[in-house]
Amino acid sequence: MESPNLPKRRALDGVRIIDLTWLQVGPQATRILATFGAQVIRVEWRGRGAIDFLRYYAPFAPDHATADGGRIQGAARSHGVRGNYDRGAYFNNTNPGKYGITLNLNHPKGRDLLKRMVRDANALCENFSPSQMDKWGLGYEELHKINPRLIYMRTTGVGKAGVYKDYVSYGPTAQAFSGLTFLSGLPEPYQPAGWGYSYLDHSPGYFGAMLVMAALRQQRIEGKGVYIDMSQSETGLMLTGTSIIEHQLTGRPTQRYGNRMPYRDWAPHGAFRCAGDDNWIAISVQNDDQWQGLVDEMGSPQWARDRRFAHSAGRKQHEDELETKLTAFTLTQERYALMERLQARGIPAGAVQKAADRFDRDPQLKARGYYVDLPHSEIGVWPIEGFPAKLAASPADVGGLTGRAAPKLGEDNQFIYGEVLGLSPDEIAALSAEEVI
Amino acid sequence: MSLGNLRGALKDITVVEAGDEMGDYAAMLLGGLGATVIKLEPLAGSPSRAIGPFATDRDPEQSLYFWRYNLNKQSICIDLDNPAAADALTRLLGKADVVLMAGEYQAVARRRSILQRCMSGNRGAIECTITPFGLDGPYRDFKATDLTLMALGGIMAVCGYDPNDDGHYDTPPICPAMWHAYHIAGEYAAIAINAALNFRDLSGEGQLIDVSVHEAVNTCTEIAIPTYIYNGQTVLRQTARHAMPAVTQMRLVTTRDNILMLASISPFEREERALIQLLDQVGIEHVLGKPEYKELEKQDYRAALTYRNDLIEQVVASLPAEELLQRAQALGLAWSPIRRPEDNLADPHFAARGTFASIEHPELGRRLRYPGTVATDGSEPHFHYHRRAPRLGEHTAQVLSGAGVATAEIAALAAAGVIRIAEEGERRPSASRVQ
Repeated sequence: MESPNLPKRRALDGVRIIDLTWLQVGPQATRILATFGAQVIRVEWRGRGAIDFLRYYAPFAPDHATADGGRIQGAARSHGVRGNYDRGAYFNNTNPGKYGITLNLNHPKGRDLLKRMVRDANALCENFSPSQMDKWGLGYEELHKINPRLIYMRTTGVGKAGVYKDYVSYGPTAQAFSGLTFLSGLPEPYQPAGWGYSYLDHSPGYFGAMLVMAALRQQRIEGKGVYIDMSQSETGLMLTGTSIIEHQLTGRPTQRYGNRMPYRDWAPHGAFRCAGDDNWIAISVQNDDQWQGLVDEMGSPQWARDRRFAHSAGRKQHEDELETKLTAFTLTQERYALMERLQARGIPAGAVQKAADRFDRDPQLKARGYYVDLPHSEIGVWPIEGFPAKLAASPADVGGLTGRAAPKLGEDNQFIYGEVLGLSPDEIAALSAEEVI
Repeated sequence: MSLGNLRGALKDITVVEAGDEMGDYAAMLLGGLGATVIKLEPLAGSPSRAIGPFATDRDPEQSLYFWRYNLNKQSICIDLDNPAAADALTRLLGKADVVLMAGEYQAVARRRSILQRCMSGNRGAIECTITPFGLDGPYRDFKATDLTLMALGGIMAVCGYDPNDDGHYDTPPICPAMWHAYHIAGEYAAIAINAALNFRDLSGEGQLIDVSVHEAVNTCTEIAIPTYIYNGQTVLRQTARHAMPAVTQMRLVTTRDNILMLASISPFEREERALIQLLDQVGIEHVLGKPEYKELEKQDYRAALTYRNDLIEQVVASLPAEELLQRAQALGLAWSPIRRPEDNLADPHFAARGTFASIEHPELGRRLRYPGTVATDGSEPHFHYHRRAPRLGEHTAQVLSGAGVATAEIAALAAAGVIRIAEEGERRPSASRVQ
């Protein structure tokens, strides 16, 4: 445990990131960079069409949440549509540890100011539509002239280089394109179930943080800048490699398998309904010993002693019947109690957890300190999702340098423009009067 | 024009990997950035060699899973439990920058106790463990598979099919992709290792990184957690769209040539204008954008959405998928057909970007194309994969020799059954099922 009196030791100490990202896919990368101690300066503008969608997208902090208030769940009626862009709950979870400034890039002086910031920055990240930065004259080639050591990361749906260089995309679009959407769900004739969230709004952020960190080492050692043209669709394709090489070898089209495991002799292997409303448990029997443990747990019913089920090959062959009969048992069971009993017998089992289960109940997440309470200047202290690894010497810290959840819009204008960039109060006032900042 | 590339960014880094399928992907990502990755395998081979599909028969050398997740790596086959392996391991681990250990907690703890004894003098070494629940906590010893971790971590609860009209689900929560818990954990592990390498550059210190797969899965259910924490609401899983507190309107639509298309409009005015243009291009009559539609939106928002979605269905049904994709994209609509992964092999865009790495398989007498990067520098991929997954023990002698183990000692270890050196005769020829 670190002493509170010692300064925190940070992996990205002294690194400055200009963060022009928005929505989820871009801010994910800079969130991680802030977590490891980079000074991430989030650049936004309040103009129509420029404001980050997540600032006015549900969920919102409840109406009663104030800067001094604690965490109490409740309904939210006030939100960005009415002109307050500082109450987005998902935005708050997506952008902790970052500084927030406003800067009008449609104004020539705004673009000049950005170039001034780039001079001393280690990296710039953006995920605008593919040609936006070039339209502003702020593409990599231009910024590279100002700072040859700059790391420039651009994230788009399919990638800026290539035939579809102007394609627009959200996470679900890239998932459909890459094949990830197809892979999810029960076998045909069921339609794909797709994904209930956009992994391809996460994965490019993970890769983005990874590549920027690799580039920072290269920048430090060799003094080189790097241009990173990140493709959401390619991050999806990275996960489909086995299907793609199997297709090349066999010519067979890729199939969906629901929750079953076609590639090992594991059965039963699925989600089984338990007592209560939409409660399920995942059970994954890997061998005959585990199966025997499950049979014993069920009280050794006659059906389960059927020789067809004694060995994995038979269980795989008769998986429909096996699942139906197992469900008749699990339907009578409370999911967590069953999970604990199966675990005690050495059988992989896990309740299908919803958000309430993961936040209120999960003893593992609590013990590991996964949720981190961080203050927000308008809505008070709220739990923020943490980083899923503990680093002993340079711990991940989602509060970053600010020690805060997400910034209010333009919250750090004075600090960044004044103390970091060294503008005088008069200069700041003039830029503000001209609608530059 | 090359604008600064990361190819070989980790060329100064040696990663020693020991464990099961929880760590394959993380180590492969580091290898793609130029790290030398040495995979320690037990005499019978890594557990992930038993995962299908298989190129031919169930053989440790034929696992396509192993092929995919072990590109660029070198394989040393060594019995870690044999005390006679200690000297060779000490030489090897004394020079390692990263030691990656993955698997269930007890297996990792045992392996770690062995390997730590062999790296005691290596102050700058970064140890990274990937375990289902981390190195502490009440679930530490729970048995886990990819599926049970996807359940506990919350992803399954947000993926699946629509409920019935009465709100009851007939279908189960869905695990959207196999091995995905390990994908997420692998990406996070590679991030954490890169962070630790940066820290080592500044401080000269190595450290322990303790990655929890459970926590990694938990990080990516988007609004599910904030919606509950702030508003006390539970999101509902629904077909091919985001889990939300209420059921939203369907997004999968069938094209004229019977291909499923992801087609919908986000709440931006520019997208509605683009839809109007598309409808006009195709000649579908409508009142979108006109006063009567604005009035309908005011009076009955859901009816307005239904009307708009009916128009989307009509326009999608009127065109073949490829033409629709091009027209929609030209107007700025983020629509896409539901492709199978392999459909992308023939896509000119990915060909132009060098997305697929062409890897020689001498045993097959052919090359296979693997997804090989997520980003380029404008002309060259940042990740670079150039060698197929290793055969079991293919590099045992070469790597130990490079670590300073004498040739006679290597031979003695092999004779004593402490290490295994792959023979040329162990190569598997391409078989009849392989096309």
